[in-house]
Amino acid sequence: MSLHEILFYFLSLMALVCALGVILSRNPVKSVLFLIATFFAISGHYVLMNAQFLAVVNIIVYAGAIMVLFLFVIMLMNLNADAEPQKSRLVQFAAVLSGGALFLVMIAALKTAGIHAEESKIDSSGEIGLIHNLGQVLFKEYVLPFEVSSVLFLSAMIGAMVIGKKEEARTEA
Amino acid sequence: MPVAVQLLIAIGFVAIMMIASHLLGPKRRTSDKLINFESGIPSIGNARQPMAVKYFLVAILFVLFDVEVIFFYPYAVNFRALGTEGFYAVLMFVAFFFCGFFYIIKKGALKWED
Amino acid sequence: MKPLIASAVFGVIMMFAALSVKEKKTFTLLATLLLVLLTGVNIYELMHIMNGEIPEALFNGMLKYGSFSIWFNTLMTGIALLYVLLCGKHIEKVGQHTGEYYGLIFFILCGANLLSGYNNLLILFLGIEIISIPQYILAGSDKRNLKSSEASLKYFLMGAFSTGILLMGIALLYGAMHTFDVSQFNFMEHNVDAMSLGGIFFIMVALGFKVSAAPMHFWTPDVYDGAPTPFTAIMATIVKAAIFVAFLRLFSETFGGISQHWTLVLSIVTALTLFVGNITAVFQQSVKRMLAYSSIAQAGFMLFAVLAVNATGFKGIIIYAVAYSVATIGMFAVLMKLKDYTYDGFNGLGRKHPLLAFTATIFLLSLAGIPLTGGFFAKYFVLTAVMEQGTGMMWLVIFALLMAAISAYYYFKVLMAMYFKKGEPELAIEVTTGDRFFLGLAAAAIIVIGVAPDILLAWLKN
Repeated sequence: MSLHEILFYFLSLMALVCALGVILSRNPVKSVLFLIATFFAISGHYVLMNAQFLAVVNIIVYAGAIMVLFLFVIMLMNLNADAEPQKSRLVQFAAVLSGGALFLVMIAALKTAGIHAEESKIDSSGEIGLIHNLGQVLFKEYVLPFEVSSVLFLSAMIGAMVIGKKEEARTEA
Repeated sequence: MPVAVQLLIAIGFVAIMMIASHLLGPKRRTSDKLINFESGIPSIGNARQPMAVKYFLVAILFVLFDVEVIFFYPYAVNFRALGTEGFYAVLMFVAFFFCGFFYIIKKGALKWED
Repeated sequence: MKPLIASAVFGVIMMFAALSVKEKKTFTLLATLLLVLLTGVNIYELMHIMNGEIPEALFNGMLKYGSFSIWFNTLMTGIALLYVLLCGKHIEKVGQHTGEYYGLIFFILCGANLLSGYNNLLILFLGIEIISIPQYILAGSDKRNLKSSEASLKYFLMGAFSTGILLMGIALLYGAMHTFDVSQFNFMEHNVDAMSLGGIFFIMVALGFKVSAAPMHFWTPDVYDGAPTPFTAIMATIVKAAIFVAFLRLFSETFGGISQHWTLVLSIVTALTLFVGNITAVFQQSVKRMLAYSSIAQAGFMLFAVLAVNATGFKGIIIYAVAYSVATIGMFAVLMKLKDYTYDGFNGLGRKHPLLAFTATIFLLSLAGIPLTGGFFAKYFVLTAVMEQGTGMMWLVIFALLMAAISAYYYFKVLMAMYFKKGEPELAIEVTTGDRFFLGLAAAAIIVIGVAPDILLAWLKN
C-alpha cells in the first residue's frame, strides 16, 4: 500500500465516522463540530485528487463561514430542554426500510460505475482541479451559470434583509 | 516519506500521552468540581440565551460576499488568458453584487445600533 | 435570452425602488409597468422565432429557446401581470418590504425563464434554486404571523433537502453520461444501468417534491396555508407551472427514449397524487386549505402530460398551465376579498356581491373541468396525450376521471355556499371597479380558452 492509499483510507474512515457522529450525537454543538471534521476530511480528499483550490475553498466557505452560521442558529434556539420527540415504531421501521433500499440502489450504482472507471479516473496525476484549469472552464464554458448565480446571491441578500431586519416602528400606514 | 513517518510518530505520541493521562490519572467527581468556574462566584442564570438576530444577518452577508471573493481567485490566475470577454463576465457579476451591496448599505443592514 | 436579462435587471430595479420610494402604491404601479415591458420583450423574442429564425444554443449549449419555451414565458409573464393587477393591493398589505416582494417575483420569473430554456443540467439546477429561494422568503414574509414563519422554515428545510436529492441525481447522471449537456445524452444498452436510472429517479423525486406530487407532498398544505395568501397564489401557479415545464422537457425530450424504465413509477406517483389530493380536499374546512389540496390534485393531472412523452403532452401542459393558473389566481383574488376563509365565509355571496360570486363560479367550474371552461380542454388534452400512447395507461385515465368527479364535490361546495345559503359575507377590503374589471377579464379568458383552446397553440411550431 502506497502512502496515497493509506491516506485515502484514513480520510475515508474519518469522513464516515465523523458523518455518523453528526447524526448520532445528541448535542447539536457536538454535531456541528463533527460536521467540521467531516469537511476537513473531504478537503483532504480534494488534496489527494490534486484539487488544492477546491480543498481551500471547502475549508474557507464550509468549515469556516457556514459553520459559524450553523452555530448561530443553534444559539438562537433554546437548547435547555431535551425536546427531541419520540418517533413511533412504525415510522422508525419505515425509515430504516426506505433508507436501506436507497443504500442498495447506491451500492448498485457504484458497482456498475466500476466497469468504466478507467476512462474517467481522477487521481493525483489529473489536473482538472487546479485553479488555472478551473478558471478556464468557469469563465469560458460555464460563464452563464456563473453570471446566473449572481441573481441567486441577490435574492439571498434580499431574503436576509426581509427576514432578518427588525421591522421599523410602523410610522406610515 | 521519512518526514511523514516522523510526523505520524509525533502525532501518535501526543495522542497516546493525552489518552493515557486521561485514563490513568485519578478522578474524583464531586458536584463542586463539575460546575462552571466563574472566578469563585456562583454562576447566575444560563449561558444559553437566545442571541440577537443581527449577528446572524451579518454572518449570512459575510458568507455571500465570501463566496463572491472566492470567484475572483480563478479569474485572477487566468486574467491575461481570458482577455476582454472574461473581463466583461466578471464585470457583470461584480455589478450585480455591487447592486446588492449598495442595497444592503442603504437599508442599514450593517448598522449595529438601532 | 433578452427576457432573461430583462427579468433579472427589472428585479434589481425593484430593489432600488425599495430604497427610495415610500408610497406602497408606487411599487405596484412600477411592477405593473415593468411586467408589461417584460411581456413586450417576450413577444418581441417570439416574433423572431415565428419569422423563421432558427433557435440556436446559447453560451456553449447552456440555453436553447424554441418556440415552446418562449411562448410559455410570454404566457407566464402575462399571467404574472394579471396576478399583480389582481393581488397588488393585497401584496401591499403583507409587510413593509413591498418593493422587495416585487423584486423577488421578478427573480422567480427569471428562474422560470431558465427552466423553460435550459439545455444543461446545471442551468436546470440554478433555475430551480432561483425559483425556490424567493419562495422561501415570500412564505415567511408575514413576520407577525407564527404560521407564516413556520411555513417558511418548513419549506426551506424540506426544499433544501430535495435540492440535495436533485444534485445527487445530477451527479449520478453525470457519472453515467460524462456530460451535463442534455442534448448530448444518449442512452444505450451499456449505460442504462443502476447509475443512470438511479440518477433519473433521484431527479424525479426532487422535481416531484417541487411540484408537490404525492408522496412528496407533505409540505404543501402547511406551506400554502401558512404563507400570506397573495404569495400562496403565485407559489401554486406560476412556480408550479414553470417547474412542470422543466419536468416535462427533461423527461419527454431527454429521458423519453427510455420511457419504459420510468413510466410505471411515475404513473403510480400520478395515481397517488390524484388520490391524496382529491380525497383530502374533501375533508377541509377552510377554502384556502382546500385550494392547497386541490393544487396537489391538479398537479396529478399535469403529471399526465409528463407521462405521455409526446407532442400532445407539450400542448396539454401549455393549456393546463394557463387555465389552471388563471383560475387559481382568480379564485385566490376572490378569497382575499373575504374576511372569513372557511366555507361559511362564502355564505350569501351570490346575493350580496353577484360579480364576485359569478367570477368565482367560473374559476371553480374551470378547476373542476366542466365543459365550456378552460379547465375542460386542459384535462382533455393531457388525458388524450396519454391515450395516444396506447391502452396500457387506460386504468390511470379512468381513475383520473373518477377523481375529477370527486373534485367536483368540493368545488361545488363553495358554489352551494355562495348561492344557496343565507348569510352576510364580510369583505376584508373594498371591491373597486378595477378589481371587477380584472376579475371579469380573467373569467373571460377562461371562457375563451374553453371555447377555442387553439389560440394558445397557434404560436407553437411543431
